[in-house]
Amino acid sequence: MGSEAAKSDNYAEYWACSPALESRGKVLVTNPPEPEMQLDFTIEAKDYIKTGRASSEIKLFLKKLGVNPDVLRRVAVACYEAEINVTAHSNGGTVQALIYQDYILAIFEDKGPGIEDIEQAMIPGFSTADELAREMGFGAGLGLPNIKKNSDLLYIKSAVGINTYLAVIILFEDKQDV
Amino acid sequence: MSEERKEKKEFFHAVELDREKCVGCTKCVRVCPTEAIRVRNGKAKIDSSRCIDCSQCVKVCPVNALYIKSDPLSDIFKFKYRLAVISASYESQFSEEIGYERALKALLHLGFDEIAEQAMITDVTADIIRDYIRNHPQIRPVLSSNCPAIVRLVQVRFPSLVKNLLHIESPMSMLAKYYRDKISKEKGLKEDEIGIFLIVPSSSQITAVHQPEGTYKHLHDGAIAISDIYSQVMDIQKKLCDDDTQISSYANGLSWAISGMEAEEVAADDIETLAVSGIHNVIDILSNIESHRLDQYDYIELKNCQLGCVGGELNVENPFVAASRIKKIVKKTRRKEIDNDYFFRLYKEGYFDVEPLEPRSIMELDKDIRSALAKMKKVKEIEKKLPGLDCGVCGSPTCRALAEDIVQGQSKIDDCLVRLRRIKKNKEE
Repeated sequence: MGSEAAKSDNYAEYWACSPALESRGKVLVTNPPEPEMQLDFTIEAKDYIKTGRASSEIKLFLKKLGVNPDVLRRVAVACYEAEINVTAHSNGGTVQALIYQDYILAIFEDKGPGIEDIEQAMIPGFSTADELAREMGFGAGLGLPNIKKNSDLLYIKSAVGINTYLAVIILFEDKQDV
Repeated sequence: MSEERKEKKEFFHAVELDREKCVGCTKCVRVCPTEAIRVRNGKAKIDSSRCIDCSQCVKVCPVNALYIKSDPLSDIFKFKYRLAVISASYESQFSEEIGYERALKALLHLGFDEIAEQAMITDVTADIIRDYIRNHPQIRPVLSSNCPAIVRLVQVRFPSLVKNLLHIESPMSMLAKYYRDKISKEKGLKEDEIGIFLIVPSSSQITAVHQPEGTYKHLHDGAIAISDIYSQVMDIQKKLCDDDTQISSYANGLSWAISGMEAEEVAADDIETLAVSGIHNVIDILSNIESHRLDQYDYIELKNCQLGCVGGELNVENPFVAASRIKKIVKKTRRKEIDNDYFFRLYKEGYFDVEPLEPRSIMELDKDIRSALAKMKKVKEIEKKLPGLDCGVCGSPTCRALAEDIVQGQSKIDDCLVRLRRIKKNKEE
């Protein structure tokens, strides 16, 4: 999966994309077409009891569509890790799952405080998780790497002190162009 | 299984419905973990392809319309030589005064010629499971497959995890296979002259006997519920007080009737294990496994019944009392060995292999994703019109399920009485 990172004074960006999406991936995220269906959820900060429900609902939804079981597991992992990130690291946020005929675009948007250094956060084992998160069994520093590993496209845009926007695309058919 | 039964439906089920008795209360509809039951025209109806024979519905039915059909004891007399293969939970049904060995002897007086116990081969089963885990490093976690309700639950609700199921015959099937060959050789009997019957604590084991998943060969001739023979055993045992003939027993393996003991025995320095019992707990855990959240475990023991097989609905004794008895028996009795090496060798030779298990995909709304999406849109539209109370009065388990049933043409929106009532009230105002 190819990746690139960019920084400006105001925000940092990170892209990782599988060859299948190289040509159109960015457009699908920055200017998403009208989805077939959309699911919306909110995620509360530090709520370790309810966290995971959004990704469970998304998983159930895709099961009803008859999405390939292995693809389904990738969606489940990517969405769960992203949901945990919002719970553990942010002041809360939302998930939008946009469902298309051939893929899912899941957008996680939080209310800050933003990621200081995205490239560092992508290194397996790097973690800024607090004690509570670690006690709950999270914070191993594998969240973002796992999301990247399980998705066909990962886009992160973060402004320190403001918020983080994370989008993933997972194709329903393996290795097929959209 | 009888041919007549086979023709009637594609899937065999031990859980059956007596339509005459059913009052259409919908209690079963709401507890079914695979949403297999609907009430239509005042009567319950079970979707055969979804039912996993977990018997949750049987437990809540207030009028005994749902029941478990096991094989009658008289079936054993169709055979010249009769072997009982008994579940480890059997012994826990009898008090200390009666004792383990007398309860076993009573079975011989019921008409069996020989007895084999699940408990005989738990040690070697643990060896086999460990060997399987070590030889399948790409599969984590490996999921136990000796509870038939769990195998079917995975096939129906967690198709991506079917390959994680331990693909080896269950201990009671291993015994059946081993004994049929042994008896046939030793007694010079034809295979069909030997009747092998399981004495079981749960409905899904009856289903598995009549319609095994993955097995290459039909291994058993029937399954008899512990509760069906309990009173006869109690009568016979009274006459056996002074009978001091010796009988082989394998008490140490009985502990596998209690959830967690299998996982404990399989665990090793390189094998992390976890044990979960009770169908709803199992569903939670399977959902976590599906999302790769429990990859750190090498083996997970899953049991439909709370507390394990002692919690089976065809037991007579309270599960907690039964579990405590087993712990006592295991502590008191000395370990007896059978030829574990021989069993392990058979396993290595592929004698206990099973066919790859197949998922039973019933979750999707349509075979084609596009059509499924179109249907899902309609489902969501209808769901908005429903009250979201999940009361079950319509005969579907939840409002979402009713919406799906409507889209699939099996219900209509007016089946929702709450909605009708609200519309009526609005009009009046």
